Amino acid sequence: MAKAEFKIIGTSPARMGGVERVVGKGVYGIDLMLKDQLHGAILRSQYAHAKVVSIDTSEAKKIPGVHTVVTAADAPNVRFGRSYFDRHILARDKVRFMGDPVAAVAAESPAIAKQALKKIKVVYEPLPVAIDPEEATKPEAPTLHEDMPLPKSIPADAKLKNICGHAVAHVGDAEKAMAEADVVVEEVYETKMIHPQYLEPRIAAAQMEPNGRLTVWANAQAPFPVRQETAKTLGLSLNNVRVISAGLGGGFGGKGSGITSGAAIEPICGLLAIKAKRPVMIVLDKAEETISTTIRAGAKMYIKTGVKKDGTIVARTGKVFYDAGGYSGFGVQAGGRCTNMLGGWYLMPNCHIDGYTVYTNKQVCGPVRGPGGPQAAFAVESHMDSIAAKLGMDPVEFRLKNTPKPGDKIVGVPKLRDVSLGETIRIAKEKIGWGKVKLEKNQGVGIATGSWIESAGPGGGAIVKVNEDGSVTVHIGKIDMGTIPGFGIPMIVAEELGVPVEDVTVVNVDTDASPWDAGTVGSRGILVSGTASRLAAIDARNQIFKMAASQLEASPDDLEIVDKQIRVKGTPAKAVALATIATNAHNVIGEVIGRGYFDNVAAVAEEKQHGSSQPFTAHACIVEVNPDTGNVKILKYVAVHDIGQPIHKAAVEGQIEGAAAMSIGQALCEQVVFDTNGRTMNPSFVDYLMPTINMMPRIETTLVSGYPGAGPYGAKGAGEIACVPPMAAIANAIYNATGVRIKTLPLSPENVLRALKEAGKA
Amino acid sequence: MSLTINTTINGKSVSGSAETSTSLLDFLRDTLEYKGTKLCCNTGECGACTIIYNGMPINSCVTMAADAIGAEITTIEGLADGDKLHPVQQAFIDTGAVQCGYCTPGYIISVKALLDRTTKPTAEDIEEAVSGNICRCTGYNKIVDAIHLAADRIAGRA
Repeated sequence: MAKAEFKIIGTSPARMGGVERVVGKGVYGIDLMLKDQLHGAILRSQYAHAKVVSIDTSEAKKIPGVHTVVTAADAPNVRFGRSYFDRHILARDKVRFMGDPVAAVAAESPAIAKQALKKIKVVYEPLPVAIDPEEATKPEAPTLHEDMPLPKSIPADAKLKNICGHAVAHVGDAEKAMAEADVVVEEVYETKMIHPQYLEPRIAAAQMEPNGRLTVWANAQAPFPVRQETAKTLGLSLNNVRVISAGLGGGFGGKGSGITSGAAIEPICGLLAIKAKRPVMIVLDKAEETISTTIRAGAKMYIKTGVKKDGTIVARTGKVFYDAGGYSGFGVQAGGRCTNMLGGWYLMPNCHIDGYTVYTNKQVCGPVRGPGGPQAAFAVESHMDSIAAKLGMDPVEFRLKNTPKPGDKIVGVPKLRDVSLGETIRIAKEKIGWGKVKLEKNQGVGIATGSWIESAGPGGGAIVKVNEDGSVTVHIGKIDMGTIPGFGIPMIVAEELGVPVEDVTVVNVDTDASPWDAGTVGSRGILVSGTASRLAAIDARNQIFKMAASQLEASPDDLEIVDKQIRVKGTPAKAVALATIATNAHNVIGEVIGRGYFDNVAAVAEEKQHGSSQPFTAHACIVEVNPDTGNVKILKYVAVHDIGQPIHKAAVEGQIEGAAAMSIGQALCEQVVFDTNGRTMNPSFVDYLMPTINMMPRIETTLVSGYPGAGPYGAKGAGEIACVPPMAAIANAIYNATGVRIKTLPLSPENVLRALKEAGKA
Repeated sequence: MSLTINTTINGKSVSGSAETSTSLLDFLRDTLEYKGTKLCCNTGECGACTIIYNGMPINSCVTMAADAIGAEITTIEGLADGDKLHPVQQAFIDTGAVQCGYCTPGYIISVKALLDRTTKPTAEDIEEAVSGNICRCTGYNKIVDAIHLAADRIAGRA
């Protein structure tokens, strides 16, 4: 479909659910209140690594108002997890991070529940802790999981331990090519853990129904995997668990229950409700959240690159130590992605990188916004500037020289279809005034690029029902956290069915009624639910045209829907109301119900044949470094993105700007800080710094067109990729301003000042 | 100890009881069921719980319920005039500044307080007015756009 034919796609109508949200009537998980509900609370480990010798709950149970106290002994002895089944919902025998759930209570009030937690006596036998992912692989490190085998790909004599994931990016003969290179640059980069810090705390609510079913309310990004995880860990069948999604006040991959062995609050809440025989609701405290829920993990990355004098990259070698935390969580997937991306998204004929995802005594790695990508890009794109400096080459020219063309391969991607990388670099160069802008003292300019693939995974469905008044109700399996259900989906359905966008309602997920979906993660909302909704709307339209055709004495192929009227093309007077046909459907097919799904197998085959149409981006910025304080101020920031055809333009810009802001936060200030015992030093918002409006530059977003993606109308996912370049773009600008290369995040005043002093520049 | 709290919320006299240790936020949300005001950090850092208290925007999570006695309070529920949204509310929708929407009530309250003082806010005025409101979704661009649009509409410039 050519762009000019769109009526709605590419515009920016008001968000579905916007009015509720601005008048304070938006219902989030935290706003739930079940009749007769008890308040649940979780006792968390005070040690990062310890044996649990005994748990005595007798005193807690005696407190008036306490209805139940549960420990691992009250739950089925079932382990869960994504890559490995390495976790219980409540710790059995051992705790592996400070914040690991040990017991839970349900009581009449939050205050009584808190009091009861204090009365639970846990005897621990503290064990040595492993905090650094590289150190944790050494033979002398403490063992976190005694019964978890090393990945099969690791040789038995490798003298490594605590590894739950091993990924490789091996292409050509890197050793030989490195030996033949004119210039070799070798560096080590490190990123630290950050917390997604969505504003709405995580909740879970659960209620046993009289018929023995368990209803769970969750503000989780993947309701169906929550159902799976809850059923499995509580020993229930799937038809006896119903998960209802509340609106989410942010998620960013941090609310990924069910797709990662993360917080497990839904099964814990379910267990409490079963034992207490009353509805129970758990609301996490923000400081509790920071120490216990899933995070963007830190990574240590060794990177070495060989280039020819003319700037042609010939080889890369490297090693990644990716922090899984206490359980495998999403670490194996994220560490694998980080390993691949350390190979870069430029031409790379020879590459040899090994990546290890490592258990440490910290909270668990989640699929937080671009899992593995921002970390790798900090190393790759800082390193690109280091190489350019050694070659005496302009960083932009060096990148353009190694930019792939359509049909080329990059590490981890056998074939590219269209490549927007070069164009995004050229536009970013122009917008930032590269080589032209006059920089004052202590000011510098930097550029960094990125890519992201809409992670492979199962598809998901959509159901489009046309009601008897011509309005439309849509069921998908993805939740609304400011992403597609409220923005793109109503537009796609309205576009295909010829109805106003405000006549389309997308229903929140209820696993009893919604089509199955893997979860709102991986930049896959538009790809999966966008495609499925479009196909479901077309299916509904075909049913409508078939019924209208006989009435209008025309072929179904000659019909169109405009403003809720089904018309014969070219003869608009020959028309029947959509409402009439939808009502008549009751006598013929029961109801107009369109069904669609995203066929992941077909998508993978298509990509194999024609190549990946993944998005690319380039960010550039100008910073000013204060040599007395180490403070970095961003003076100008441009973000150039190819996300294919934008569906809801303002929403796409919002995704890009928000994702960039999160990584700008990680670049300048964000970090979960641990002491040597594995205690989080900055759990509350008082100490966990993140960007406020004061430190944020205006992000100048440019969307590049002409590179259609695999989504509906050529759309690409936009939620994560803008997290990829910011850290390196800022580090490169600091280097340009000061001549000092900082290789460990964050680029906080303290760290920048230290680096300047070490270099004798402050 | 339990207190009886008589206060005025959105122009309406209301009464409820609260412990001396109860925060104004918990009193609003849990006792009076004004759920539009949002709970987040509970430490006065994020601004999700912002309300207007005797004409000033404050963080209700670090204010005691007892402070509401005899006070005039405006919450997000009190801004619209029937079905007609306040210009700040409308501007947040029109500019796409509402993504997840969780920071939105607190933001709108802070911006209303700003625009009650001036309809020609400078960049510094805006920074100062909303520096205590964290948004994790937007990167702040569209919120700034919303503030300018609302100011222009209130002043009759748009």
